[in-house]
Amino acid sequence: MSGTDHATIANFFRRLLGGVPLLGWLLGFLAAVLIEQAVGTPLAQILSLPKMPVLFGILTISKVIAAVINAVFKDAAFDPAILVHVPAALAYLALVYLAPIAAVARISARASNRAATAMGRWNLLVPAAVHLGLMYAALHTWAGMSDYRLITLKITLIAVLLTLSLNIINGYMGEFSCSHPGFMAVGAYMSSLFTVGLFVDDKVLGKALVVFSLDFLNFPLALIFGGLCASVAALLVAIPSFKTRGDYLAIISLAFLFIIKSLFENLQGLGGSRGIAGQPDWAALPVIFAVVGLGIWSINNFVTSTYGKALNAVRDDELAAEAMTVNTRQAKMTAFLVGAFWAGVAGGLLAHVLRYINPAMFGIQKLAEVLAMVYFGGLNSVYGSIVGAVSIGLLGEALRPLEILKWIIIPLLLILVMIYRPTGLVAFRDFDLREAMGPKTEPGQRK
Amino acid sequence: MSLNFFMQNLINALQWGSFYALIALGYSMVYSILMLFNFAHGDIFMVGAYIGLGVSLLLLKIVGTGAAALVPGWLVLVVTILISMFLTAFVGIIVERVGYRPLRDAPRASAAITGLMIGIILETANILFLGGQRLAFPQLIQSHTYNIGGVFITNKKIMIVIVSIGLMIALHQFVTRTRWGMAMRAMAYDFVVVPLVGVPLNTIAVMTFAIGSALAAAAGILFGLAYPVLDPYMGVSFGWKAFVAAILGGRGSIMGACLAGFMLGFIEIMTVPGIQILNRLFALNIGSNLRDLIAYSIVLAILVFRPHGLFGEPYSAKLRL
Amino acid sequence: MRKGRLLIAVLLCAGLVISPSVWAASDVINIGFPIPLTGDNPDVGASSKNAAEMYLKKFPTVDVGGKTYKLNFIYEDNEFKAESAVKALTKLITEEEVLAIIGPQASAQAVPAGEIANNNATPMISPWSTNPNTTLNRPYVFRGCFLDPFQGPVAANFVTEELGAKKAAVLYDIASDYPKGLAEFFKQAFEKIHGPGSVVAFESFTTGDKDFSAQMANIVASGADVLFTPQYYSEVPLIVRAAKENGFTKPIMGSDSWGSGDLMGLCGDDCKGFYFSTHYAAAGAKGATKEFIDEYTAAYGKTPDDVAALTWDSLGIMIQAIQNTGGLSGNIKADRTKVKDALAAIKDYPGITGKMTFTPEGDPIKCAVVVKINEEGKFAFHESVCP
Repeated sequence: MSGTDHATIANFFRRLLGGVPLLGWLLGFLAAVLIEQAVGTPLAQILSLPKMPVLFGILTISKVIAAVINAVFKDAAFDPAILVHVPAALAYLALVYLAPIAAVARISARASNRAATAMGRWNLLVPAAVHLGLMYAALHTWAGMSDYRLITLKITLIAVLLTLSLNIINGYMGEFSCSHPGFMAVGAYMSSLFTVGLFVDDKVLGKALVVFSLDFLNFPLALIFGGLCASVAALLVAIPSFKTRGDYLAIISLAFLFIIKSLFENLQGLGGSRGIAGQPDWAALPVIFAVVGLGIWSINNFVTSTYGKALNAVRDDELAAEAMTVNTRQAKMTAFLVGAFWAGVAGGLLAHVLRYINPAMFGIQKLAEVLAMVYFGGLNSVYGSIVGAVSIGLLGEALRPLEILKWIIIPLLLILVMIYRPTGLVAFRDFDLREAMGPKTEPGQRK
Repeated sequence: MSLNFFMQNLINALQWGSFYALIALGYSMVYSILMLFNFAHGDIFMVGAYIGLGVSLLLLKIVGTGAAALVPGWLVLVVTILISMFLTAFVGIIVERVGYRPLRDAPRASAAITGLMIGIILETANILFLGGQRLAFPQLIQSHTYNIGGVFITNKKIMIVIVSIGLMIALHQFVTRTRWGMAMRAMAYDFVVVPLVGVPLNTIAVMTFAIGSALAAAAGILFGLAYPVLDPYMGVSFGWKAFVAAILGGRGSIMGACLAGFMLGFIEIMTVPGIQILNRLFALNIGSNLRDLIAYSIVLAILVFRPHGLFGEPYSAKLRL
Repeated sequence: MRKGRLLIAVLLCAGLVISPSVWAASDVINIGFPIPLTGDNPDVGASSKNAAEMYLKKFPTVDVGGKTYKLNFIYEDNEFKAESAVKALTKLITEEEVLAIIGPQASAQAVPAGEIANNNATPMISPWSTNPNTTLNRPYVFRGCFLDPFQGPVAANFVTEELGAKKAAVLYDIASDYPKGLAEFFKQAFEKIHGPGSVVAFESFTTGDKDFSAQMANIVASGADVLFTPQYYSEVPLIVRAAKENGFTKPIMGSDSWGSGDLMGLCGDDCKGFYFSTHYAAAGAKGATKEFIDEYTAAYGKTPDDVAALTWDSLGIMIQAIQNTGGLSGNIKADRTKVKDALAAIKDYPGITGKMTFTPEGDPIKCAVVVKINEEGKFAFHESVCP
């Protein structure tokens, strides 16, 4: 009985929403956040929620769960009225997000399909600009409603870039590299050195050149500088990787991480263990969005190019690849340089979001975090990295009220994912921009 | 630099190295036989130390302490070590059953991630149940310091080194002289074909984890004696260092891991006096704070010149994707 | 399907009925605690939480301008990570709408968190952070502890005058902000008294290290008269033991991070006879300090550490500031600024760790005491030093 019910419901949704292109979903999301902006607070009031649910209601629900747990195990005072928050948060989620997204996506399906088809004839830049614009508008509005959303979004976007850059080495090339926090540290330190050194402390350069447009000119330069420095540092891992493979590379990269951390702890010019504070506040949401978008785009191009295929060949069988004229040294080198570059850029962004860095931030803990994101999301997959970073980032925030229990639940979830999908949630999925942004045929229809 | 200054550091390094070696042994067994990165191993060491703490406190309650004790402290210690090794072996078996067996056919890296996550769960469970504060490990045997020509040696240091080496020899005998040991070595040689000729893969895996965890528990208790402050995260850095030692030793070479563990301990400890000597000789001013930097640069250099570890054979370890 | 719809309708109606009662409860003052409940130092978070819970039990309400408010404390885990601290602080300020913030404790989290608090114009006291950047150019950010430039010379003068030291050794954690800063200020102060080179061994290790024998061998070989080690109480037993085992028999001097009820439990007899500079002497304490120590010991079975004591005082001075505003308007933004102004204006707040007055930078001016660990394992008063 229930089996057939499930099937009919799934079928119903498939028929209803199967033919909606990405454009339609983005429109739906934009409509949802606009609705939330207009009626979110009063609706939350009507639903008896203390505030507008900030992370799709999950935070509200986990707060209730935490209250129940505290009442049961720690004899804390418990107000049963708080239980209403669970259905209220779900209702809010349905009313503000699910229903409008589904409705707008469905209603606009025909028009957006037509628009997507039309744009498909143009240069790829046009549909890309439209989609990114819509996405940014939606995210900007969403994050504009709360600073907490904004900071969570910023850090999550940076995590996406970091995860993706590690996926090049661990997923596409199939090594187990532990050096990523080290690359990130180099990027963070060098870009901070660039911005703090040139534009904050140095009064001669700073005072004379403080023009509004400077932000736009210098921050990318600082990020590129940080990324390039990270790439140079990556040579320390990349060159031994010519002769060494697999497990030995894993400990080379780990030794590299220890070395980098120790180096920054000892460089008194860079603040030592006190770190660097006071980076200029340049990492606004649009900047991060643009940099991360650029990173995803270029990494996607890289891994789908012949270079990327060479990496896969190295992963599957290095000897055979070499025999088939793949230049394995070059492949390894590029993988490390590109991966380290974007990790360095991510580090630079993080340094300017937090406006403070110290060497302890880039240790083993960070490594575990990034590895978890990569393997949770899926190896060898751009989609997977996005899914992994976003879901672990959001989950980490949404389960905050559970305090210590959070660190039981998230690892358990990861173990389950590893058991049932050993390569991660969305592994081995290529990301074809044209196809992603193209029109969708409705089920039952033929092209 | 006098000779006894050097000797003092040598003895300190011997003690420190024996912890690395004992932990690396367990790590290397799992790594050699099942080709897994057991990132939970450091935390099993932590669990072993805490189990040892619980067992010894319980025993002390039963037999009493000080002059009124029914049995001498060393007997309590021996019993504690044996019981804790036994109990921690079960922790290892559970970890294998829950975290690794379901992933036997999965990519190795996925199993590494499960190990990492099991480690986090063990740490968090510790904070949850014991409240996050540090606990003191009871001093089961009276500490004596001997001054031999300016070199200070404690009875604990001697005991730790002897017990560790004893355990290593016992393991070596087990692996080389018994049928099960032979099966393990065969498995380390090829774990695809060997099960086909009738060696039970699951039994060997369970045994590997049990022995590795038991060794970690022994290391945990010895650690508690030498450094009597236990905290939930004490296993993290040991886990990663043992990972380095196990692989540095070379795959399939359990004794190699042991030696690599000692070597890592030596490098870490001897870098500090090494820097001093360099400073004196060349009138430099390098601080001892560069220890990690120098120690791991040495590790890196070893791997550049011996890309397959100290005792490993060249092979191509593919991540089975 | 129909049942589901009915349920939603019922819930919506229920929500409408309940909502006014929820929204009416505004006589609550929320205070946020972004503290490390997990991560490398869960005991720091536990101590802060203990002190706060004890405060709440003792003073569940506060009278401001003739109106009684219920106190509500919200604890957020900062995981001992900078990113998490920044997120936790933003959440407290924008989502939980706290009036004031106590925490984060360690500088690695307090420096980036202070930025958020200052940008959002929310008063914050970090009870335990010693990095100058925490309060630098941030009018809304204060701290509860004295700074390294004060404590370093206190220790240097003490070992010179009371212990007659001419050559000193220092052992500290290079990777950790607080010990490193203090070690450097001690060295500076000691060398100012005894001339350059009088700190004959300046040895370091890295966070998480358990073996200090190599450094100790150097220290013994250097022939120092005293060892200064500004390390956390959890590392002190290991350092003291390494000293004993390597034949170091001279006195050892520590800093306020030694001052934990757990120290003697971990260290046993090894630590007896040594000295450290701190905020108060637990043995022979009088008045409010004694009361605090007794109540804390009764509630949690150990004497409070410096984190607990500083958290208690930071909380106390914050509540005092809220009372001094003379009344809250209900507009959270205006109230926060009022609290900040009141906080900056407080003179000689009688805290359990001494009288507190903030400098314009937000750093407290308070006295340090040097205590001796006596034969009973109690922290006994030895001398008091005021700036």
